[in-house]
Amino acid sequence: MFEEASEVFDNMFKSSFPLTFIVFIPAVLILVSPLPTEAAHEFTVYRMQQYDLQGQPYGTRNAILNTEARTVEAEVLSRRCVIMRLVDFSYERYQKALRQSAGAVVIILPKNMSTMPQDIVQQFMELEPEMLATETIVPVYFALEDDELLSIYTQTLTTSSSQGSSSAAEVLIHTATANGFQMVTSGAQSKAVSDWAITSLEGRLAGTGGEDLPTIVLVAHYDSFGVAPWLSYGADSNGSGVSMLLELARLFSRLYTYKRTHAGYNLLFFVSGGGKFNYQGTKRWLEDNLDHTDSSLLQDNVAFVLCLDTLGNGDSLHLHVSKPPKEGTTQYALLKELETVASSQYPEVKFSMVHKKINLADDTLAWEHERFGIRRLPAFTLSHLNSHREAQRSSIMDVRSVSPSSRHGVGEPYVDLRKLSRNTKLIAESLARVIYNLTEKGAPGDLQIFTEQMQVQEEQLSSVVDWLTAQPRAAQLVDKDSSVVSTLEYHLGHYLKDVRRHYVKADKRDPEFVFYDQLKQTMNAYRVKPAIFDLLLAVCIAAYLGVIYLAIQHFGVLYSVVRRITAPKTKQH
Amino acid sequence: MTLFHFGNCFALAYFPYFITYKCSGLSEYNAFWRCVQAGATYLFVQLCKMLFLATFFPTWEGGAGVYDFVGEFMKATVDLADLLGLHLVMSRNAGKGEYKIMVAAMGWATAELVMSRYILFLYLSLFTFISFDWKYIQMSFDSNISLVHYIAMAAVVWMFTRYDLPKSFRLPVTVLLGLCVYKAFLMELFVHVFLLGSWTALLVKAVLTGSISLCSLFLFVTLVHSN
Repeated sequence: MFEEASEVFDNMFKSSFPLTFIVFIPAVLILVSPLPTEAAHEFTVYRMQQYDLQGQPYGTRNAILNTEARTVEAEVLSRRCVIMRLVDFSYERYQKALRQSAGAVVIILPKNMSTMPQDIVQQFMELEPEMLATETIVPVYFALEDDELLSIYTQTLTTSSSQGSSSAAEVLIHTATANGFQMVTSGAQSKAVSDWAITSLEGRLAGTGGEDLPTIVLVAHYDSFGVAPWLSYGADSNGSGVSMLLELARLFSRLYTYKRTHAGYNLLFFVSGGGKFNYQGTKRWLEDNLDHTDSSLLQDNVAFVLCLDTLGNGDSLHLHVSKPPKEGTTQYALLKELETVASSQYPEVKFSMVHKKINLADDTLAWEHERFGIRRLPAFTLSHLNSHREAQRSSIMDVRSVSPSSRHGVGEPYVDLRKLSRNTKLIAESLARVIYNLTEKGAPGDLQIFTEQMQVQEEQLSSVVDWLTAQPRAAQLVDKDSSVVSTLEYHLGHYLKDVRRHYVKADKRDPEFVFYDQLKQTMNAYRVKPAIFDLLLAVCIAAYLGVIYLAIQHFGVLYSVVRRITAPKTKQH
Repeated sequence: MTLFHFGNCFALAYFPYFITYKCSGLSEYNAFWRCVQAGATYLFVQLCKMLFLATFFPTWEGGAGVYDFVGEFMKATVDLADLLGLHLVMSRNAGKGEYKIMVAAMGWATAELVMSRYILFLYLSLFTFISFDWKYIQMSFDSNISLVHYIAMAAVVWMFTRYDLPKSFRLPVTVLLGLCVYKAFLMELFVHVFLLGSWTALLVKAVLTGSISLCSLFLFVTLVHSN
């Protein structure tokens, strides 16, 4: 048969050109046409943080993966992609996966965080900084759960936990019916982003009554942080701070429009970026204003700097200072006013001052006011958190939407609008008392200024917090063209004068911060069958072909049977 | 798909053709070249059909879930060209009826196998990474069924064009002819109406083809041995 074939092809190539044309063109067309790759399931995954801060690397270093999926129960984990669900997540399992040199880790998060029990949320929050602190070569991804992903997980779980357990027959049946999955990311390897500009915004309200007025600075950082940048929405930390800042800007700009209430203090508002990365925005802003310009509000006469950080919840208010204010200064006045207002108007709020010295030997600074303290400006941070090490300041669990049940404990981050507006009013009243010198003028402790038309608008606070938490605001994701920045600029422009942008870029030779890309990827889960399955299938096919061969060999039998059936009709002739 | 899986599917699809070629005695008649000619005719007919469909049947832009019965019926009617092609091949070959039928059917079916399955499988296994799917095995089974189907179709066409076909046979032969042409349409109808799973559809297709070929075998034997 093969001689015939070669003859035929010889003839084909030598003589009839149209024939070859007709035969080969469709073949070429089919070969060249782009076939879409079918995947078993395609889903978006969000990578763990990857950044360098002051030369120290944090987070995962790798982005690509192309490995088979397993769950933690499997015996062999090396070079496999370990899938975990949040409910089953624990640090030991994570460490186990890393110790056995797994190829990747994918953690499946529920679509709606509020369905998670509180202790799991709490535990995960505590673990986030630990996961980031250890530098991992292994890519760690987070995915939001959907039905397909859940089925993939359950199938992988059955495969992994049944390894090395049951009888040969069960294993055989299992290999025939089970599905393995190959997880493949479509992006490239991660690399450092060059020339990333962190944007900050400033605006002012000028005081009245001569030159050289004292300045009060109000600061809040707008970026958020979490173990995965695309999943960090930062509702309480620091969405609450920014919304409070905007509300204070609105209230005081109203007061400053009327001549009678126009006070003798300059108010400088600063919305800083890169706050979670050791307050880069503030640091550079201070350098520019104090070192590089001749005259600036920050140089002349600063009464104090008040930083707002995580104020959307809780019944306590802490004023963090690096140096306790001396009597007779404006800072001391603010401290006293806060105490007065809290005790007389809001008895449920426990106000206290927390003194923590600036420790320059630490990797990162604690609170934002320490940046100002280093430059010898009197500053404090107000927060409902007692310590800067609280996990909820940098967690992906800090989201806006929560279940309506009031089972949230103390440690869980979310924004309670009533408490946020209460805190806003408290701070506004205290500031007003300092600015207008009300205590000296004999005003009682429970005098309320911000009432009726000057009320703190809860809807305003709510809409700002909702808008802020609608998108992730990690510093790596908010560049200078981002809508977050431009909308903030627009809003500040409503109330304040001289709204300006301020950019921070990392130094070329000795960068303070380095961000990496490939933070959001599309991952495909392809169904694969184990090699034994192919062999099994080959055996089955061989059996089938054997049957076919016998059938065709004995086709004559069928033929004669049919002939005998039809023959009696003709035999009657 | 892995190369091994490609080997599996290819063996499943191609082996019956090979066995049929060997066992039907065609190799003794040096029929390889004629089979290739039949295959070439297949390609030509497919090209003509595609051009015809593209020109006269614009893309159906109706609702997504609506199954256009009339449109699909019209499209299936174009498959009559297959019959013409088979007739053309058979008329060009001199010889006994069985020889003509087998040559035409083998060439036709092999061309279809190569064009629609072999190249596809090869491409999939070599150039892309595709997740495992049972449908490749099903496609290979389907090509086996197609072989039987084309043999039956060629036999029916041959019988239809015989001048000595008894009057009583005209009707069954025409019915079988119609069934052959519209088999694909009928299959789609079944799947759509009864919402059959893929393995069930394959079974139904096998049964349908089996019954058509059995009927045509009966008619063929009666015709050939009544003289």
